[in-house]
Amino acid sequence: MSLLKTVGLRASYGQVDVLLGIDIDVSEGEMVVVLGANGAGKTTTMRAVSGTIARSGSVVFDGQEIVSQSAESIVRLGVAHVPQGRGTFSELTVEENLRIGAYIRKDSIESDIARWYETFPRLEERQNQRAGSLSGGEQQMLAIARALMSRPRLLLCDEPSLGLAPLVTQELFEVLKNLNEQDGLSVLLVEQNANLALKVASKVYLLETGQVVASGSAEAIAGDERIRKAYLGG
Amino acid sequence: MERLLQYIFDGLSFGAIYALLALGLVVVFRGTGHLNFAQGEMAMFCTFIIWQINDWGVPLILAVVIGMVFGFLLGAGTEATVIRSVAKKSPGGVFVVSIALFLGLNSLATMIWDRAEGYTMGSLFPNKPLDFVRVLGAEWRYKFIGVLVVALALMGLLFLLFSKTKFGLAMRSVASNPESARLVGVPSGVVLASSWGIAAAMGALSGALVGGINGQLTPSLMFSVFIYASAAATLGGLDSPGGAVIAGLSIGIGEQLVAGYIPGWIGQDLKLSVALISIFVVLLVKPSGLFGSLKVERV
Repeated sequence: MSLLKTVGLRASYGQVDVLLGIDIDVSEGEMVVVLGANGAGKTTTMRAVSGTIARSGSVVFDGQEIVSQSAESIVRLGVAHVPQGRGTFSELTVEENLRIGAYIRKDSIESDIARWYETFPRLEERQNQRAGSLSGGEQQMLAIARALMSRPRLLLCDEPSLGLAPLVTQELFEVLKNLNEQDGLSVLLVEQNANLALKVASKVYLLETGQVVASGSAEAIAGDERIRKAYLGG
Repeated sequence: MERLLQYIFDGLSFGAIYALLALGLVVVFRGTGHLNFAQGEMAMFCTFIIWQINDWGVPLILAVVIGMVFGFLLGAGTEATVIRSVAKKSPGGVFVVSIALFLGLNSLATMIWDRAEGYTMGSLFPNKPLDFVRVLGAEWRYKFIGVLVVALALMGLLFLLFSKTKFGLAMRSVASNPESARLVGVPSGVVLASSWGIAAAMGALSGALVGGINGQLTPSLMFSVFIYASAAATLGGLDSPGGAVIAGLSIGIGEQLVAGYIPGWIGQDLKLSVALISIFVVLLVKPSGLFGSLKVERV
């Protein structure tokens, strides 16, 4: 069953059209990856879904049209966005970052905090430090944990591997994979590291200058000679 | 010794008022990154509202509460209408708008409450000639003690609001990263309007306290107070509430000491310059203020 479906999604920055009509479909419990070169419109696609930029076309989440809704209301429907560059609150402590992540919730959040500390022990060690003092990898963990605090049904994750050591990246992908397989969390992932992304994703969209130029199962894309050459480094 | 203590007592009370207004500046600056130059005039205008309501027969303390509510609405309304629409287009425009508000509110007050000699403003605290306690020989007037207690209590409440409540956390998150705040569902518009509202309500209270100490109300009520308050905010660090309080109290005491001990060539007339020169020196040495934080971030 389709959880997120965009049809003819368009967006622009001023006069420059960045998305020229994107069709993406994420089923319930699926992990989908969006690949593409710099400037292809990957980040803009994520922002258009979460509502942080003006966009047109159609975005249906869980049967509801959200293309004209604000970011504040879209997160309430169950879409959490981990933005590119992490977007943690540098002046707030690690724990405060997690608490504000649950802003939309009215129920008790203590067990959630405990759970993400268990998943990311390094965050627990640094719970009273300001987020700005964390290393890049720790900040990325915090950004993901903060997004999960809202108990989303769909996680938008924008280049979690950016600027991280390979080992830390692997650890993060392991966590994402577990969340997807064990908790049934749907994930829409943007990645530059195609080889890694293809290992965890079930479906792939390939973006080029604001359009989807290829899509299919991870195996099919990985097996396509032409795509391998262009995007996966042979 | 007596004299010194006297200056410190008086200085603390004035300083508490500067701190209150300076905190308003800090709340707005942390929330939106803007300096609200109309903060003092908003406070003055609210004080006239308080005077007017009191003049209609409402007890002063109730009038002050109504005035603070009016201040909240004035501040929040200003942010939600003019400031927000201008800030989107040009950050520098907010500076111009707040100057315009400064002049506009001043003219409006002069127009409505037009009387050259001003109006008699009541004090919230006992203010007869013998209403004081003697501490080590120095007179501590009840109205000064009252001002200090009220100002410190409000600062305490504000501190609790910021550090212990969900709303305070939301305010700090908007100040830290507005886009991420929206992504976690914080209604940033409501939060920004509220921070302007809280600042203006604090201004209304400080205006009522200044008016009570002076016993007189004119449209120039907050003029020098605002200069001291902005000095306190700059000195303490524009993003540091604690710094604003400490700097406000220090400036209050410093003002009394300078005016008292060097009366000949500085006295009442030049004490403002002494404050400004010391700020100039501090900013040269430490540009983010004494307690302000430089933005440090690992990437």
